[in-house]
Amino acid sequence: MKHYSQIPGEISEFSDQPFWKKADAVDLAYVGYGLLIVTLVVVSYLLGSFSLLPRDPQEIDLGLMMARPGTAGHLLGTDFMGRDMLSRLIVGIQAYFLPGLLAIFIALFLGAVLGVVAGYRGGTFDTGITYFTNLVDSFPRLVLILLVVAAFKPDIYYIMLVVGFTNLPVVTSLIKGKIQFLKQKNFIEADVALGVPTSTIILKHILWHNCRSLLIIQATLGMAEAILMETSLSYLGFGVQEPTPSWGNMVQSGANYFMQGKFWPSTAPALAILFTILGFHLLGDGLNNILEGKRNT
Amino acid sequence: MKPSAIRPIALVLSRELIITVLLLLGVSFVVFIILFASPGDPFSVLLEGQLSTAEVRAGVREVMGVPRSWTTQYLSWLAGMLTGNFGTSIRMGLPVLPEVLRVGFNTLILTIGSLIITLLIAVPIALYSAVRGTDKISWPLTMFSYVISALPVFWLGYIVIYFFTHKLGLFPLAFGFSSAGQPYRWLYQLLPIFVLGVGNGTISEVIRFLRQEMGRVMAEDYIRTARAKGASVWKHSFKEGLLIPVTEIVASKIPFILGGAVIVEQVFNWPGMGRMAWQAAQDRDYPVIMGIAILAAVLVRMGSLFQSVVYVIVNPRASKE
Repeated sequence: MKHYSQIPGEISEFSDQPFWKKADAVDLAYVGYGLLIVTLVVVSYLLGSFSLLPRDPQEIDLGLMMARPGTAGHLLGTDFMGRDMLSRLIVGIQAYFLPGLLAIFIALFLGAVLGVVAGYRGGTFDTGITYFTNLVDSFPRLVLILLVVAAFKPDIYYIMLVVGFTNLPVVTSLIKGKIQFLKQKNFIEADVALGVPTSTIILKHILWHNCRSLLIIQATLGMAEAILMETSLSYLGFGVQEPTPSWGNMVQSGANYFMQGKFWPSTAPALAILFTILGFHLLGDGLNNILEGKRNT
Repeated sequence: MKPSAIRPIALVLSRELIITVLLLLGVSFVVFIILFASPGDPFSVLLEGQLSTAEVRAGVREVMGVPRSWTTQYLSWLAGMLTGNFGTSIRMGLPVLPEVLRVGFNTLILTIGSLIITLLIAVPIALYSAVRGTDKISWPLTMFSYVISALPVFWLGYIVIYFFTHKLGLFPLAFGFSSAGQPYRWLYQLLPIFVLGVGNGTISEVIRFLRQEMGRVMAEDYIRTARAKGASVWKHSFKEGLLIPVTEIVASKIPFILGGAVIVEQVFNWPGMGRMAWQAAQDRDYPVIMGIAILAAVLVRMGSLFQSVVYVIVNPRASKE
C-alpha cells in the first residue's frame, strides 16, 4: 500500500478562475447528483426527526399488504405488513444519519491530528503512527465490528466508532502526504523563516488552505461507508431492530417475500441504499476530480 | 534466478516478515483488549443459572484456566495461540483452530474467486479507458461500475438466487452448499463467488486506481521510446502499469472482500468464516470470534507481504528504500 494513497495535486488555490469554470462537465454532473442526494437525505432526516411524515410508519394495515407504488395514499406502496413504505424509508435515515456523522468526525479529527503529527514532526512519530494505521488496516472492518458487537452490545454508536477508526488511516496518509509535498516545495520552511507561529502554520496554512477539499471529500466518502455499514449490520440483525425501520432490516424482512415474487418490500429500501451510496460516491469522486485535479483522461 | 536477483527479495522479505510479526502481535493485543474491556465475560454466559454461589464460579474459572491479572491472561492466551491452541468454543465445545480452519478454506475459495471476478471486470474497463480516454464506450462502463459498486450485495444475492431458482428452475429454494449429488451443485457454489466479485463495492475504486496508474505509466518517457522504435508497448508497460497496481489494489482490498464475505455467506448459506463469525457474535462466543479476527488479520497481512515481494521482484531498488 506504499504507493497507493496519493499523488498530491498542484496547489490550485492560486488560480484566478472559479473551479466550476475549469471543471469537466461530467464532474459537475456527478457533483450535482451528489448534492441532490445530500439535500434529500438531510431534508428527509429533518422530516423524520420532527415526525412530518405522510403516514405513521408503524401503522399496520393488513388489508393493504405489499401494495404497489402509486397506490392511493401510499406513494411508494406498502410493505409486508401494510406499513407505508415512503414513511419507513424516511424514518430509516434516522438509523444512520447522526451515527454516520460521528464516524466522519472521528475519522477526520483523529486522522487530521495523526496526519499532521506524522507529516510535520516525522521521525519516530511517523514510524509510530504508520504502525498504528497499518494495525487498523489489518482488520477486515466487518470482522472488527462483529468483535465489538460480541464484546459490548449491538449498538449503532459502538459500530460507528469502529467505522470512524477504520476510516482514519486513509485520512492520516492523505494529510501526511500533503504535508510532505508542501515540505518539498519549501512552503513550510518559508513559513518558519518568516516567524509564523506553528499553530497558524498547521491550522491555517496546512489544514485550511491545503487540506480543506481533501477533508470534504473524505467526509463524503465516509458517509457512504457509514451507510453501507449501518445497512449491512442491520441486515445481519446487529443494528436497528424491527419494528424500528432501517434500510438494512427492511431489505432483510422483505426477503422472504422476494422469493415468492413480491419484490417491492425489499427492493424499495435496496434502491434507496443504491441511489444514496451512489450519490455520496459520485459527490466525493467529482469533488476529487475538480478540487484536487485528479482527472487525467 | 541469479543470486544478485534473490538478495533484494530476501532482504525485503525478511524486513516485511518482521513488520508482519509486529503487526500481528499488535492485532492480538487489540483483540484481547476489546474483549477484556467488555462488561462481563463469556463465562458468565456459560455459567448463568447453573452454579449458584460466587465461590463455585470462581472455582470453575480457576479450573478452566483463567488467571487473575490481565497480563498473565494475555500472555497465556498468546502462548496458547503460538502453539496452535486457540481455546475451545463455548457454544460448540470444540477446539477453535480446527473448526475455523475447516470453514476458513471455504472463505478462502470465496475470497480468491471473487477477487478474480472483480479483476476480470475491472482490468479491461480500466485498460480501455486508460488508453482511449473517456469516450462513448468507456463512459457508460465507468457509470456501470459506479452503480454496481453502490449495489447492496445482499440484495444482489436475492436477485441472483431468485433468477436461478424461479426463472431457470435449476435448483430448489432450500438448496444448500453441501447438497451432494445434485446436478447443479457446482453452479450453486459459483453463484456466491460471482455475487461477491461483482457486489463487493470496490469495483469503481479498483477501476479508478488502475486507470490512473496505467495512464501515468503510458505517459512515461520509456513508453514513448518503446513506441518510437516500434517495440511492444504492452510488453514494456505490463510490469509497472498493470502488475504492480493490480497487486497493490488486491492487497489493499482484501479486508473489504473478507467483510463482504460475511454478508454473502449469510445470504447463500455458505459455510465459511464469515458465517461462523456472525454466529459467534450472536452467541458471544469469544474464543471463536477472537480466532477468526486473528486469522483474518493473518490473511490481510499475507496479501500485503505478497504485494511487497511482487514489488521488489519488479523493482529491486525498493530493497534499499
